[in-house]
Amino acid sequence: MSKVSLFIPCLVDMFAPSIGMATVAILERLGVETVYHDEQTCCGQPALNAGYGNYALEAARRFISIFGDDEVIVSPAGSCVYMIKRYYPELLEDDPLYPMAVDLSSRVYELSQYLVDVLDITDVGAQYEGKVAYHESCHILRGLGISRQPKVLLSKVKGTEIVPLFAAEMCCGFGGEFADRYHYISEEMVKDKVNNFQASGADVLITCEPGCYLNLNGFLHRQQENKKVLHLAQLLAGPEFQGL
Amino acid sequence: MKIRTEEFNSIAKKEINNAYARAFLGLLPPIIAMRRVQVMSSFPNPDQALKLSRAIRSESIARLPDLLEEFEQKATKSGAKVLWAKDAQEARKLVLSLIRDRGATFVTKGKSMVTEEIGLNEALEQAQIEPIETDLGEFIAQQLNRPPFHIVGPAINVPVEEIRDLFLREGIMKEDTTDPVQLGYAARIYLRDKFHHIKVGLTGVNMAVAETGTIINVENEGNIRFNKSSPITQISIMTPEKVVPSLRDAMHIIRLLCRSCTGQKISAYVTLDTGPKKAGEIDGPEELYIIIVDNGRSEIYANPRTREVLRCIRCGACLNTCPVYTKIGGYPYGWAYSGPMGQILNPLLLGLDRTQDLYRACTQCGTCRDICPGGIDHPALFLYYRSCDVEGNEKLAGKKRPRSERISFSLWGLAVKNKLLWNTALRLGRFLTKKYSSDGWLTNLGRLFPGWFKERDFPSISDSTFRERWKEMRKGKYGHP
Amino acid sequence: MDTRKEIINRLRSAPRSSSEPRPDVPPLPELALGRSELIQKLMDELTKLEVSCHRVVREEVREKLAEILVGEGITKVIVSNDRIVSAFDLSAWGKERGFMVYRSSDFNDRDTLKRVVFEEVEAGVTGVDFAVAESGTLGIIHDHNQPRLVSLAPVTHIALVPTSKVVPIYEQVVDEVFLKGGNIPSQFTFITGPSMTADIKATPFKGMHGPRRLIAIIYDDD
Repeated sequence: MSKVSLFIPCLVDMFAPSIGMATVAILERLGVETVYHDEQTCCGQPALNAGYGNYALEAARRFISIFGDDEVIVSPAGSCVYMIKRYYPELLEDDPLYPMAVDLSSRVYELSQYLVDVLDITDVGAQYEGKVAYHESCHILRGLGISRQPKVLLSKVKGTEIVPLFAAEMCCGFGGEFADRYHYISEEMVKDKVNNFQASGADVLITCEPGCYLNLNGFLHRQQENKKVLHLAQLLAGPEFQGL
Repeated sequence: MKIRTEEFNSIAKKEINNAYARAFLGLLPPIIAMRRVQVMSSFPNPDQALKLSRAIRSESIARLPDLLEEFEQKATKSGAKVLWAKDAQEARKLVLSLIRDRGATFVTKGKSMVTEEIGLNEALEQAQIEPIETDLGEFIAQQLNRPPFHIVGPAINVPVEEIRDLFLREGIMKEDTTDPVQLGYAARIYLRDKFHHIKVGLTGVNMAVAETGTIINVENEGNIRFNKSSPITQISIMTPEKVVPSLRDAMHIIRLLCRSCTGQKISAYVTLDTGPKKAGEIDGPEELYIIIVDNGRSEIYANPRTREVLRCIRCGACLNTCPVYTKIGGYPYGWAYSGPMGQILNPLLLGLDRTQDLYRACTQCGTCRDICPGGIDHPALFLYYRSCDVEGNEKLAGKKRPRSERISFSLWGLAVKNKLLWNTALRLGRFLTKKYSSDGWLTNLGRLFPGWFKERDFPSISDSTFRERWKEMRKGKYGHP
Repeated sequence: MDTRKEIINRLRSAPRSSSEPRPDVPPLPELALGRSELIQKLMDELTKLEVSCHRVVREEVREKLAEILVGEGITKVIVSNDRIVSAFDLSAWGKERGFMVYRSSDFNDRDTLKRVVFEEVEAGVTGVDFAVAESGTLGIIHDHNQPRLVSLAPVTHIALVPTSKVVPIYEQVVDEVFLKGGNIPSQFTFITGPSMTADIKATPFKGMHGPRRLIAIIYDDD
């Protein structure tokens, strides 16, 4: 039996724990043993984003000390995985931990990537009656090059029809503090995404990225829209995982 | 041109409500960017083609000093006169004295971003020499005294009614029309007369080829060809990083430049000039001046982190695909270069202190990096600029962030490496935000994050976080505490 | 220290960086085409660019040219003096057919040439040194027999394109013109379709500053 170490980023831990629970449920259903290091905090992305590389470096060091010995690390958050793969080696360039950072980055997987590319599983036995559209989150599509994997998983969900989403690869406008500081631009972007979602005729929009999930659901909730956005893990795990 | 990079937010808030401009901007991603994708597929292997152009730019920059000297030597041998200017002021002085010495009262110009960067038009006007932009979009933008809205279509956002009024007022046209084609032809006739009688033509340079000393211009209208054919004196202005190793390299870059820029395989005219006209040739310049303006490039080059910016070939593809640019257009960037291209370049040329919003107004979505034929990682550069700003980097004129932000992040920095502190902060946060929470959602947080909460809610910190749920679950599962 | 030295020194004293590995030029499909397919590809590309293409045999060139001028209502033309055009002795042809034909070699000062190309003639006729199938691009070497303004200033440009000048891709052109060790021309121009713009309201139209019409007469010479 495979064994994976869960990396549940802070946004999921605090604001959408059901995504984390859904991740565990899917993996266990597939017979994968999960481990969760209770000491984990944050990958450091917010600090790096804001220009506080020194604090992001602290987060990177800590992450490596916690996860360094794990064979496989899986996360339901593509942008955090991207942070580790793309920026940890750069942050630790002049640090003795550099080789560890490079080595670690090859063992971190985004959830759908792990399921499809590593486990070679496309049907997780999920069921959902309705139409779904897939939002290609920036760091997942362009950062990690993941697009096929979530779609093939969706295609195997019983009862589900995948409908195309116009401009699926366009950013939803989250970008961390961007969404607050430049809210007037971000709002136009999230509106576009939601309009395209509405026009797609999908009942639910799927993303693999908690940032997009919070942004789009935050907007839909304010607009009192009935439609909602689900993380892929939530759809795959089943209805009891589809709350916050 | 007045530099307005510090007014980013106020201009952007105005422009985002400009329905006319938005209608055009809305077409960029689905039409212009798609056209790029289509024409890229004319390569048997688009990725390889892109990789090659990136590698050429990479090599051009790695070998910059050698290539530049080789270019100078070959260009000089071909009869061109190569002059150097260290900054905007020196460049203006050089151009001005060349024009004055030739007794020209007006000059026609091909589109040249570097002349906008060095404020050449203003200097010429002050010296009573009329600079006439001849690219149609630049011509209109110049008359309206506006910065370029888009590097490829500088006035593409200007309503036809406004152009009609302008042309009638300036005597460029007599007939009252708002037909874009008729407006264009009016400008053609007006400028044709100028082309006929110019003594000095000014152009930019798309590429300078080291192996032959050739300069290359890429255009669709033919105005640059006129500027290089009709006058007795041609002045072509470039920055050092325009140099490429070979002609074959240049031609492959052109493949990518035109596909990325307008979705063409190649633009209508590509001209390769090697020296002035030869004896016996009837047209073309008797003297060709190539002015190499550094204006900060060698400083950018000295820093290995910023050097990458010099790989830009000014195709403008990053504008067409940027989710921010396509909402606000070119004006908020406040200067000659807009969109991701301007966001990487302007902060280095003007200082991080004066361009705060340029490297922050980005979601890190990465479409610019993905399509860039120069191979630039714009999002990573923005992160670097942000970090230099935070640390108050003197060379790049970093400003340091407000005290409150620095304190917040230093506390974050403490918590991120201490589980106890992290969990305590989380519980404290949950307690403090309780009063704003209803049904599991926050609709505001008092003075915190007012932008976010303008049109969006946010989930409350969960009553049972993943960490807590995990513990519960394991307890239940294994039946022991 | 002078400016040049200062700039070069600063560039030289910067830390060195290495270049990314360089893949080959992608093997463009035109390289695999046979002669007649190549010519067809050229014509397809030209047609896409709204260039009027006329395929004739060598003996029909003068006739075709006359037909085009009559069709376009053109009476005054300037012809360049390049080897391709001169072979057709268009002065004599013009006299026969009743067209006013200026030869670029008739002029020896810039101003008179400019007056004629800007104000007198309605078309410029030139040969081409290359025709690149890759993108329907015509390549012209400018020299004393091929002034720059002949293919630029008149509102119509008519290009005589012998099929022997057709090559698959750009690299072959620049190798031939610049790297064979001969005289490098002061200007070389790649022309791909008529002059155009879309700068007002993104509305495309032909003939912004250069020719509004580009007409290619393609004939066999080999």
